Amino acid sequence: MRAAPAILSIVALVALAALPSLLTQYQITLVLPALAYAIALLGFNLLFGYTGLLSFGHALFVSIGAYGTAVLTSKLGLKSFEAILLLCAVASVAVAIPIALLSVRYVKIFFGILTLAFGMLFHSFLFKFYNITGGDTGIRVLRPTLLGRAYEDLDKTAFLVGPFYYYCVVLLAILGFVMWRLVHSPFGLHLVATRENRRKSEYLGVRVRFFRLIAFAVSAFYCAVGGAILAVNTGQADPELAYWTHSGELVFMTVLGGFANFFGPVVGAFSFIFLKSELMGLTQYWRFWLGAILVILVVLFPRGLAGLFAQLWARLHRSTPT
Amino acid sequence: MTALLDILIGGVFHAAVLFLVAAGLQLVFGVQKIVNLACGSFYALGAYFGITAVSWCLAHGMPPGLFLPVLVVAGLAIGLIGPFIEALLLTVYHRDEAFQLLLTFALVLMFQDILRFFWGADPQQLGDLVMTYGRVKMGAVQVPTYNLLVIVASIAIAVGLGAFLKKTRYGRILRATAENREMSLALGVNVRWMYASVFTLGTILGTVGGALVVPTAAASLDMPVELVVEAFAVVVIGGLGSMRGAMVGALIVGLMRAAAISWYSELEMLAIYLVVIVVLIARPGGLFGKPLE
Amino acid sequence: MDQKRRKLLQAIGGTGVMAAAQPWMSAPAFAQNTPVRVGIIAPKAGIAGTIGECGLRGTQFAVDHINATGGIAGRKIELLIEEETNPKDSIERLRKLVLQDKVDCVQGIVSSGVSLAMGPVAEDMKALVIFWDGTTQDGVKETMPSKRYVFCSTDNECEAVMGSLLAIKHWKGQFKTVAGINPDYSYGRNNFAAFQALLKKYNVEHQVVADQWPKVGTTDLNSHVAALKAAKPDLVFSSLLFADLPIFMRTAHGAGLMDGKTKFVFPAAGFQHTALKKSFTPPGMIFGHNTLYFDYAKGSDLQKQFVKWYHDKFNDYPNWEADRAFFAMAVYKAGVEAAHKAKGGWPGKEDIISAMEGVKVQSLGGPGQMRKDHIAEQTFYQGITTHDNKYDFPTLGTVDVMYSDQLQKGTGQDFWKWIETANIKL
Repeated sequence: MRAAPAILSIVALVALAALPSLLTQYQITLVLPALAYAIALLGFNLLFGYTGLLSFGHALFVSIGAYGTAVLTSKLGLKSFEAILLLCAVASVAVAIPIALLSVRYVKIFFGILTLAFGMLFHSFLFKFYNITGGDTGIRVLRPTLLGRAYEDLDKTAFLVGPFYYYCVVLLAILGFVMWRLVHSPFGLHLVATRENRRKSEYLGVRVRFFRLIAFAVSAFYCAVGGAILAVNTGQADPELAYWTHSGELVFMTVLGGFANFFGPVVGAFSFIFLKSELMGLTQYWRFWLGAILVILVVLFPRGLAGLFAQLWARLHRSTPT
Repeated sequence: MTALLDILIGGVFHAAVLFLVAAGLQLVFGVQKIVNLACGSFYALGAYFGITAVSWCLAHGMPPGLFLPVLVVAGLAIGLIGPFIEALLLTVYHRDEAFQLLLTFALVLMFQDILRFFWGADPQQLGDLVMTYGRVKMGAVQVPTYNLLVIVASIAIAVGLGAFLKKTRYGRILRATAENREMSLALGVNVRWMYASVFTLGTILGTVGGALVVPTAAASLDMPVELVVEAFAVVVIGGLGSMRGAMVGALIVGLMRAAAISWYSELEMLAIYLVVIVVLIARPGGLFGKPLE
Repeated sequence: MDQKRRKLLQAIGGTGVMAAAQPWMSAPAFAQNTPVRVGIIAPKAGIAGTIGECGLRGTQFAVDHINATGGIAGRKIELLIEEETNPKDSIERLRKLVLQDKVDCVQGIVSSGVSLAMGPVAEDMKALVIFWDGTTQDGVKETMPSKRYVFCSTDNECEAVMGSLLAIKHWKGQFKTVAGINPDYSYGRNNFAAFQALLKKYNVEHQVVADQWPKVGTTDLNSHVAALKAAKPDLVFSSLLFADLPIFMRTAHGAGLMDGKTKFVFPAAGFQHTALKKSFTPPGMIFGHNTLYFDYAKGSDLQKQFVKWYHDKFNDYPNWEADRAFFAMAVYKAGVEAAHKAKGGWPGKEDIISAMEGVKVQSLGGPGQMRKDHIAEQTFYQGITTHDNKYDFPTLGTVDVMYSDQLQKGTGQDFWKWIETANIKL
């Protein structure tokens, strides 16, 4: 492994761990969704950045994670967060596989529309079947136990900004590491090859559809974990999590951070949450400015923040005489 | 029997409006290969602007009976923002499709607040204007005349569009460019101008659709995001790029929705998405489009 | 508003850190000169935008008067207003108001969906929250079984119960087939279920021939109306209450559903009353104004003063959300002042809560009180519409007034059991 990414990751993780002592409780409750989205986007970018498939329906898997957590904690009484994460991720992959089987035949626009349709299908189901899913109210999410401990003496906020926060940072570290190994493995290289030139890859014996399927399933796994964290944070799983504009936000975040860079999605998640929160505090027309920023991104900085940073870094290094 | 007719007319009315938006989508996709997520935003823009135009005219003494032509003109007028939006999209024509999709998504976000800025956050309605033309009674079936007029207008536009594409020179060049852009370029077609005009035409279809629907419904900030999914369903079922597909797709979606509401309302949108998925799997090109890959 | 809030935050940044270090009971001398900070969460846009706006005006009216007459126990009220949107974002706004802006009390919320999600979060945060509206049965039972910090409005089903009782009273024996068109969320679901439960209780023979559930925010109701017509109902029960209600009225009128053969019950139509013009809203319908009927001849002076103020300032007539907002503020004021008097100094949160339990107030719409189990009691107004008035929209020709103790379950009871067993007067 190259030194720079490892050092970067360690610095970032240390910084994250130090945040609770630097920020207020309220501000930490904002960092939690960023952690959740960082995990979800790491998975999403496997499909988008590395495999080249743009899905407009991945909010579906995030909401599976959220609703799974809700049902398990409040309806089935299962509190162990480890078990919840596992079950939600498995459920998400189980749903992802048939969808992937149907969708990976297509690329580009059809893939996007098909995934959008599946996402909205789930949203409709969540919304309309009031008796099962709670309709527009959704389902309540009760506090899970972390590694068996319930932390009953802490109120919700203290729990979230304390044990739960650290737990999520560790989750991000572990899942990030796994993703790093994945994309640098032969599997990862295969994905990139299929993205660059499908025909050639097939010719070389790469089973394009199979690899896309795996990438899709892995992305669903990660998104479900992110969804579970989001659900615990808000205490409620509601159908808006599955709406297509939420999928659009996932893409936005990834592009903001930079989809061509491994760390891009993580950078994107944090930047977006921060950006949105700031904009919402400044003006009631924050959607407009978010959209404008996306336009600028797409037109001028398609490589995102991470890409910008990488460019600057490269330029700095070139200018220093060796 | 009358029940069926009522439901049918409701479904066809919805289909008529959907067709206009879908036709706009098809034109733009056919020629420029861009799927415009902001089609719903144009629709909403037409609705809001239509209300403003009609209210202004009524306040200046226009007889209520003229509100339909005013709506159409309003739709046409506001659709002329098309070239400006297209100029923005120009920057990503040669890039990956993902960026085009993202850019149109950015437009959706921006438009939501543009609409809110100019027209406020509350849904706007045209009060009782829709009843100005009275009701048509066919036995026990009763429907506002306005609804029938909109259906007729939509059919007229469909026919007109069809003739335009087949018979006029512009139409033929448009279809040629959709078929094979490089060839058209080689043959000296001013593709830049073609793109701008086609996009504007697509935009106008969307804004007129919104303007026409607003008397029976309302202009609300939810319109842009809600409509996109239905419009996509139409376009996918009918086949991307096909006009005939837009018409058939719109009818299918409109009638399915009406039927679902009548018989099993939980299925309202679910049924449509299911059909989309089934069509995409069984016949990926849609009913009338060309299968891709 | 946003700029003001930012300056506020910058100014209070220092005291915020201080207050965080202190326990909740702040020293009286320090507290005396600072305003009481009340956070308001209300919808400002979309389908419930006009409702939130009306509520905010009610709050403004209350605050203007309270501040003009010395404030709450000598301290003026300062409002921090946030927008209610979906449950997730609204909860975040609550967190911000409580954790960052450190408000003394939060009031607001119109949507049941949001209140059900927010209630447990508020309890967890030990935040004093008074809901304006939005408490539907099934959810409340699950999410807020014993409320300590949260105060709820009257049960959402009060209007459904009253509307159903009026329907039975006026029209029993005159209808056989019923249909429902209700918004597709907890409120609509429970309202229609309550209606059917009451019909069953009073042995009114009926058959449900259609039930429509348009998604909140649907602007095209043609197909729904067509389906209703096709079912040929004698009576239609509809708890539609957002901007979709005028659309429904118009569409139904256009389709001939309002031509006199069908009876209508609209328990919550008061929200949109000024948008329901006479040209498409016929007389003879059961129409609910909940806790504030602006044109009530026997209304209190306070109500008449408010309606006049509202009309002069906004050229419109208020709906009941203004009363809910006023009621919340009145209950809070009464509770704080009672606790202040008892303690002889500025009361802590627990003292205020205890004082609020059982407190009686005069709200815009009439007398009301907060029960010990944190559920409100208020006066309800429904009646039959008439066109005989000076407005371009219908008002109530005959007005029925009922106090909510006849319309909602008692402490600890289950709503559905209460309907079955209680002695509800017709």
